Amino acid sequence: MEKIVLIISLLSLSLFAFEDTTASSRLVTNCLTCHEKEQIPSSLIYKRYLMKYSTDGRMEEAMNKYLKDPKKEHSIMPAPFFLKFPMKEKISLDDAVLRDNIQTYLEKYSMKKRLMLEE
Amino acid sequence: MFRSEKRSLIRFLIIYLGSTFLLFSIASWLYYISSKHHLLDQQREPIKYEAEHIKSQLRTLHRSNAEKIIYPSHTHIQSAIYDLDKAYIFGTFQTKQTLDINKYDNRLYHIMKVEPYYLGAAYLLLAKDIDFEPIEKLQRNIFLFMLGAGLFFAMLGYFLGKLFVAPMRDSMEKMNRFIQDTTHELNTPISTILTNIEMIETFGKEEANATELKRIEIASKTLSRIYDDLTYLNLNHQYHREINTINMSRLVEERVVYFSAMAEAKLLKTVMYILPDVTLKMDKNDAFRLIDNLLSNAIKYNKKEGTLGVRLTKEFFEVSDTGVGIQKENMHRILQRFQRANNSEGGFGIGLDIVNQVVNSYDFVLHINSKEGKGTEVNIQWKK
Repeated sequence: MEKIVLIISLLSLSLFAFEDTTASSRLVTNCLTCHEKEQIPSSLIYKRYLMKYSTDGRMEEAMNKYLKDPKKEHSIMPAPFFLKFPMKEKISLDDAVLRDNIQTYLEKYSMKKRLMLEE
Repeated sequence: MFRSEKRSLIRFLIIYLGSTFLLFSIASWLYYISSKHHLLDQQREPIKYEAEHIKSQLRTLHRSNAEKIIYPSHTHIQSAIYDLDKAYIFGTFQTKQTLDINKYDNRLYHIMKVEPYYLGAAYLLLAKDIDFEPIEKLQRNIFLFMLGAGLFFAMLGYFLGKLFVAPMRDSMEKMNRFIQDTTHELNTPISTILTNIEMIETFGKEEANATELKRIEIASKTLSRIYDDLTYLNLNHQYHREINTINMSRLVEERVVYFSAMAEAKLLKTVMYILPDVTLKMDKNDAFRLIDNLLSNAIKYNKKEGTLGVRLTKEFFEVSDTGVGIQKENMHRILQRFQRANNSEGGFGIGLDIVNQVVNSYDFVLHINSKEGKGTEVNIQWKK
């Protein structure tokens, strides 16, 4: 009996880990590869969003709005940024996938997780 | 202490101390609130300083790319950061604090808004344990002050109360003595009348001699004079005077005759010098009271077989006796109501008060010369 429970637990953990890895690799495929190619640091963009919107919910809405309708006024980046980098095209991802990618992005670069007290 | 005096003193003390206590309590309470706020403000200063410090630290931490971001902590001050939705992000509190400073947990709280939202922090909450020692010291000092002030004002109130009820006590003592004197004064002539009537009834009307009748006459006149004096005193403030020209010479002679029975009873020698047809414009009742009281006093306080002197001229009226006289130290208060020169004789102590009232009403001038053991001269100068 104990063995069955152990096997089920290991399988569940493996599935969650797989799911997480899948979400992460989707983010890399859909977003980060291009960012890296363009040399636009994703953590810097996260910090700019965080500094302006404070909460994950507000950041998600702002990112979603920009990605669906990329305009200077929807962007977090300053106007001179677009002199060097062209305005990106409207994203072709499904809405649910897009939201999933944004949430994974927010989770990946979260600063809250890195906060700790001096030991 | 009289019962009513005690009651008045207690009432005064209750009102006085009650109102003083209320006033001091309000003042002390306001002082306490203001001082407590001041003390707490002083204790809040380091929190505000720490808030500014953390705010600047957040900016530095936000730029950090390190794997671990060390949140600034302080030994005595706890802090936490909250996002725009007031959700807890991170802090040094042992349990997650909600962003609510309306708590009563003996701590000082301070909230600061942060913008831009470094690390996502829109609010910064800081808390510090209140140091109660200076507040307790303040409470102790106020309590000691209230105690000291209470004792001081209790003593002051008692002293003031005694001072305020003193005239009442004086009046009550005077009234008591007046009532005692009145009963005594009335008792003597009434007893004389009753005894002598009894004697006449016992021995038969035929046996009644002149002595008993004389005694009854003297006692009746005494009663009549007491009645007149009391009525005069009682009605004086609302008495309407009828000013007529009075032949004082005739009136003085009449009153000397009226009192002759009393003078004879004391075997007094009456020496009179009355200028005929001395007239004065005054109320007849006032003239009666003036003459009667002076004659009555001169007879009453005279010694047996003494001399009763009566002088009337166009300038003055003078009655003298060879009696007990007035002590020098009592001279200044002899004209006050219910004051008697000495207690050797009965009386209310109202005789000279009535004389003084009449003298003042007509702007006459009163002189009293007296030597203890030798006699008294009362001289009234008519106004010119």
